[in-house]
Amino acid sequence: MGKYWAAFSLSIQQELYYRASFLMERARSITVIIAFYAFWSAVFQGRDTLLGYTRSQMFTYILGMNVLRALVFSDKTWELMHEINTGKISSYLMRPISYVGFCLSRDAADKATQLVSSILEVALAAWLLKIPLYWPAHPATFAVFGLTLALAIVLYFLMSYIVATFAFWTSESAGPRFCFELFLEFSSGAFFPLDVLPRIFQSVFSFLPFASLLYFPLNVFLERITGPLLARGLGVQVFWAVLFVWAARRLWERGLKAYSADGG
Amino acid sequence: MRGAFRALFKKENRIVPAVQDISFDIAPGELVGFLGPNGAGKTTTLKVLSGLLYPTSGEVEILGFAPWKREKDFQMNFSMVMGQRTQLWWDLPARETFVLNQKIFEISDKDFRERRARITELLDIGDLLEVPVKKLSLGERMKAELACAILHYPKILLLDEPTLGLDLVMQKKLRNFIRDYNRETGSTILLTSHNMADVEELCKRVIIIDGGRILYDGDLSKIVERYAPDKLVTLTSSVPLDIAGLKALGKVISHNGSSAELEIPRKDVSRVMGLLLAQVPVVDLSIEELPIEEIIRRVFLENG
Repeated sequence: MGKYWAAFSLSIQQELYYRASFLMERARSITVIIAFYAFWSAVFQGRDTLLGYTRSQMFTYILGMNVLRALVFSDKTWELMHEINTGKISSYLMRPISYVGFCLSRDAADKATQLVSSILEVALAAWLLKIPLYWPAHPATFAVFGLTLALAIVLYFLMSYIVATFAFWTSESAGPRFCFELFLEFSSGAFFPLDVLPRIFQSVFSFLPFASLLYFPLNVFLERITGPLLARGLGVQVFWAVLFVWAARRLWERGLKAYSADGG
Repeated sequence: MRGAFRALFKKENRIVPAVQDISFDIAPGELVGFLGPNGAGKTTTLKVLSGLLYPTSGEVEILGFAPWKREKDFQMNFSMVMGQRTQLWWDLPARETFVLNQKIFEISDKDFRERRARITELLDIGDLLEVPVKKLSLGERMKAELACAILHYPKILLLDEPTLGLDLVMQKKLRNFIRDYNRETGSTILLTSHNMADVEELCKRVIIIDGGRILYDGDLSKIVERYAPDKLVTLTSSVPLDIAGLKALGKVISHNGSSAELEIPRKDVSRVMGLLLAQVPVVDLSIEELPIEEIIRRVFLENG
């Protein structure tokens, strides 16, 4: 375990090494919170509910989305792709450390720094702007929310890991990766609750893995998804997780075979 | 990306023989030079030995392990340093990567402290470990790289171009270090280099490959007898030399007024020297082996 802890701690140091870009990222994220808050405040003018969300639910969605993004959508698979393309991955494959384990430690470091800063930002925004928040009525909701969130993190890791394996076959894996991220932001509910979309899209999206990442756990927290819908959502998460584990393992195996340690 | 999708369902086979009929045994504690021109298959062979590639046919066994299985007990005793590749974390001081390797290789705190002190002293890199790796010069980085790679005292150490891009003083230091490490720990070292000084100073035995095949495997001293039947005679005369007369004695490599270089068959050296001294008023004379570069070049020419 010591080695993964060491990898985690080095990654944190690495993260903090680029303080300027870290702070810029924070500034960007605060701006986004304020923009979303202003937008939804205007939309809510003179109404109590919208798209089935109460005011506090909607604002909790927006702030919660910020925190969840930090926790779910943070990863270091760009580095992983870089390591495959430059051949640096060889130096890890030769050492007695599991590469997946190493990636997980590195991701965890990213998640830890992102989470801490996003909680601070959200708390600051909620306090300054006096944003009303929704807290679950049933204590059990916290447990179920934790479960859906854990599955979302696993799903996202598997998906980004799978996209990263493309680097084994092409040195231009940045393109697919970029498209993946863009589509992900949209279809996971990071820009707006998916309830905004026409019903047909909503039903399609509810079976795709993307909505499982943010939209689903957030709505579980807001207690808008309960009972059979909750069970179905968990089923969707587990189904995709199992499928992605299979695909990730297979692609990784095949990728390593295709990998001839390029670059010397 | 298409490849990625295809790979999900179909197994791909591509056969490009990079090395074949390569067969050698290395005894524990040996320090062997592994030579060959660019594209000879050196790096491919090292990758097979390190477990990054697995051989489509043939057998590889190191310390009783098949490297490509990447078993922990093998990797714990193995290390490879590649001149143009780094395992150090670029943005952090090298000391941080040392700690990572300490954990990866399960080195006790006591051993770690002792070894780090000893290695940093020998390589003279004490202060450099506190500086972010990207701020180090190439030579400094290479030393830190080597130090990091041997903290776990690997029984097997592969060095791919360890002196690449280093100045002469630095090269010398690194070579001394490699020799001491080999002697003190009894580890087995395989070294590739285009720098013949590395090979001459460090390796008793060399393996020469080209086109994926072994051309020579044996003592470096024997290669000299086999591939260099001539000795190099350099002479300076007090008067301008008669080149035509010299050509009758041996092969004239170069001449410049009153001095010349000749290649003379080993067995004829004493006879020719007698003639030469009788004919020419010699001021200065030396009889040497051909430079090792030239000998290796002949091995390639003859077999290539």
